[in-house]
Amino acid sequence: MSGYASGVLAQLAINIVIAYSVFLPAAAGLLNLGAAGFVLIGGYAAGALTAKLGAPLAVAIPAAGLAAGAIAFLVSFPILRTRGVYMVLATFAFAEVVGGILLNIPALGGAAGLSVSAYAGLPLVLGVTAAVVAFVAWLLATRLGLAMRAVHDDENVALLFGCHLRLVQVAAFTLGGALGGVGGALLVHQFNFIDVQTTGIVFSIFVLLYVLMGGTQTAWGPIAGALFFTLVPEGLRRVAELAPALKFLEGSRYIVFGAAVVLVMMWRPEGLVTRTLMDRFYGFFVRRNHA
Amino acid sequence: MQTLQQIVNGLMLGGILSFVAVGFTLTIGMLNFLNFTIPALFMLAAMTMWALGTAGAHPFGVGMNWIAAAAIGIAVAVAASLLIERFTYRYMKARYGDATEHALPLVSSLGFLLIFEHLVITLWGTEAQRVDLPFADTDLRLAGLVVGIPQLVSLLLSFVLVWLLSTLLVHTRTGRALRAIAENPDAATLMGVEVNRIVPVVFVIAGSLAALAGILYAASYRTVSPYIGDGVAADAIAGMVLGGLGNVWGAIAGGLLVGMVKVFAISSFGAEIEKIPVWGLLLAILIFRPTGIFGHTKIGKGKF
Amino acid sequence: MLEFENVSKSFGGLKVIDQVSFTVRRGSRTALIGPNGAGKTTLFNLISGVYPLDAGAINLEGEDIAAMAPRLRIARGIARSFQNVRLMPHLSTVENVMLGEHWRASPLALAQGRRAAQAARAALDAAGLSDYPGQVVSNLPYGVQKRIEVVRALAAKPKLLLLDEPAAGLNPAEGEALGVLLERASAGGITLLVVEHNMHFVRRLCDRVVVLNFGRKLFEGTPDEVHRDPAVREAYLGVAA
Repeated sequence: MSGYASGVLAQLAINIVIAYSVFLPAAAGLLNLGAAGFVLIGGYAAGALTAKLGAPLAVAIPAAGLAAGAIAFLVSFPILRTRGVYMVLATFAFAEVVGGILLNIPALGGAAGLSVSAYAGLPLVLGVTAAVVAFVAWLLATRLGLAMRAVHDDENVALLFGCHLRLVQVAAFTLGGALGGVGGALLVHQFNFIDVQTTGIVFSIFVLLYVLMGGTQTAWGPIAGALFFTLVPEGLRRVAELAPALKFLEGSRYIVFGAAVVLVMMWRPEGLVTRTLMDRFYGFFVRRNHA
Repeated sequence: MQTLQQIVNGLMLGGILSFVAVGFTLTIGMLNFLNFTIPALFMLAAMTMWALGTAGAHPFGVGMNWIAAAAIGIAVAVAASLLIERFTYRYMKARYGDATEHALPLVSSLGFLLIFEHLVITLWGTEAQRVDLPFADTDLRLAGLVVGIPQLVSLLLSFVLVWLLSTLLVHTRTGRALRAIAENPDAATLMGVEVNRIVPVVFVIAGSLAALAGILYAASYRTVSPYIGDGVAADAIAGMVLGGLGNVWGAIAGGLLVGMVKVFAISSFGAEIEKIPVWGLLLAILIFRPTGIFGHTKIGKGKF
Repeated sequence: MLEFENVSKSFGGLKVIDQVSFTVRRGSRTALIGPNGAGKTTLFNLISGVYPLDAGAINLEGEDIAAMAPRLRIARGIARSFQNVRLMPHLSTVENVMLGEHWRASPLALAQGRRAAQAARAALDAAGLSDYPGQVVSNLPYGVQKRIEVVRALAAKPKLLLLDEPAAGLNPAEGEALGVLLERASAGGITLLVVEHNMHFVRRLCDRVVVLNFGRKLFEGTPDEVHRDPAVREAYLGVAA
């Protein structure tokens, strides 16, 4: 596999992990525009561990997840007092505060960012991503996952059937934060660099965009969203390279991508992958067996 | 003296932020829609005015009269705003009858944000550009304080425009129709309000406010780039929340407050720490007093 | 088993429930009827804990539940269905039914584990709804959804089952199937409290009737007695009988 292709694949895998960090709260009905916050926490934590303390990646990555998860847990209590658009803004504000704090820690590079030399190769990145996907799929199949999806659909009725609303929301938010930390750890060791500037508002907006685009009803949604987000602009660039007549696509690929986003949302407002779609997909195979 | 100047600077910045905050708060209050394209319209108007008004090799560089350039900048932003309305909010209503239960408007507005930002980059590149307005260098000197004329104009204009807006909402037919739609879109339709004709008015107003803010920003700070929207967006949203979602006067107060907090934070602690006070304050408000300092107007149901 | 003692509830200035007292005996099948706006659904919401009481007491098997959090009431044995179907739209039929027994399960258990899914499927089969296990409920017909809601409530193994207009919108065959399902539940020891407008359904199923009008209890007795009571006739027919 060429260096270019493995780079894109690694980027895709990291995007998937970060997508799941926003997906989990979203699946429980909580909208999170602060993906950057937990990615920064995890990225800086992991980076500091490998660069300053010489820790191996096998320690740094889980530690980053734990750190981000712990902070997510603490922050979840005040943030869960907000709802709807207020929650969007609160998570947004939280990410900005995290960025602001990190900018002012000279030991971590300040505004210039943090550089690390430890490198996480493609196999490690893919391995961690696969583990994350497996974890989320398992989680959604548990009682907790059922409670999360019930709370997403109808909080009040879920309560009447015994769902512990606060517990479910804290769990979703905490686990999402932890996954964000893991994503950040992978990111800093794939690009050997992380900084607040590039992992800010625009970053969080993109993540939320492709998570909602992919669909929040099933565990496959984030993958579809990340695929779309990673491959469409790259694909357009490749097409521009291969077909000189379409050269303009290279410079304007984000315009086309933006238009694609608008069109996809018009065509499938609930996201690319919906529960109904997956049912039909499985149903297709099941019917085959029964016929 | 120093402090007084800081206050003045804060108010000047705040004046511009207020416009954008009002644009945000209007769409959220009336339509329950967090319109992320407003900062893009801000940038679009400013960039268009610069491109038209500055003679040069860049596309549309005709060097026309600045007032005309500004007017066209605003017109372009308003047209873009209507385009967005058509493909996000109205589409959602037409197809699903309810724009608030789905992620569509939010995600689509993000898509449009991308489109406009990169359209501008494709046309005019990513560099920041100098805006050489004829009267931009004049400052008012009052009792030892320096007050930029364009910024003073923004401050005064923001009060005038919001006063006009409030009057419109309370005393005109269109305004009452808008408030009816904000309360209950279905009931409003049943009462004969032509939702399809009235909702675009919100988009036009929000778009004009954002565009005007962009023009004034360019005049005040004499520089534009495709990224000025990003900087303003966050602060304007903070101002909106401080003032209470949906509360137009609150948005002005909120915008001014944010302007001042920013200026004080930067001068006291340096530019790098300014995020923490602004966003820390916002977070605290959201948690402890989400209705903002002045209380929000009733906003509709829905998660987005 | 369920005692309402002088319960009152107001919303703003409007007194929706006005000093209502009645008793639901264990094992009985009681119908709660009355014109629209009489306060029947509000009564259910008070029992479930969706609204707090303004005055009075609600005793379940001797225990005052008025202060109990809604989340805990299902553990005391209260399950309900809703007037407008409130299934989880993005969950499948089986998953909605599994939500019914959620309060008894451990959080980390595999919900798709064979036992839980099998039990849910069996319950659906018993109710004549075996065609739809995996389907997302928002795609199903209204009559089917209504019956799934009842199966969901039954899955909670309640002691008291509150049903809010379970037969509304059902065709005769579906109504018949529902009646059979509820009779079986009652025979199994579950106490039924049913809000209904369909008097045919009520007469077939219920042995006791409570009539509500403008938030006040008008009458409490057997279905036959209800028909003859003058106050009830006036409320429904508007004429002094």
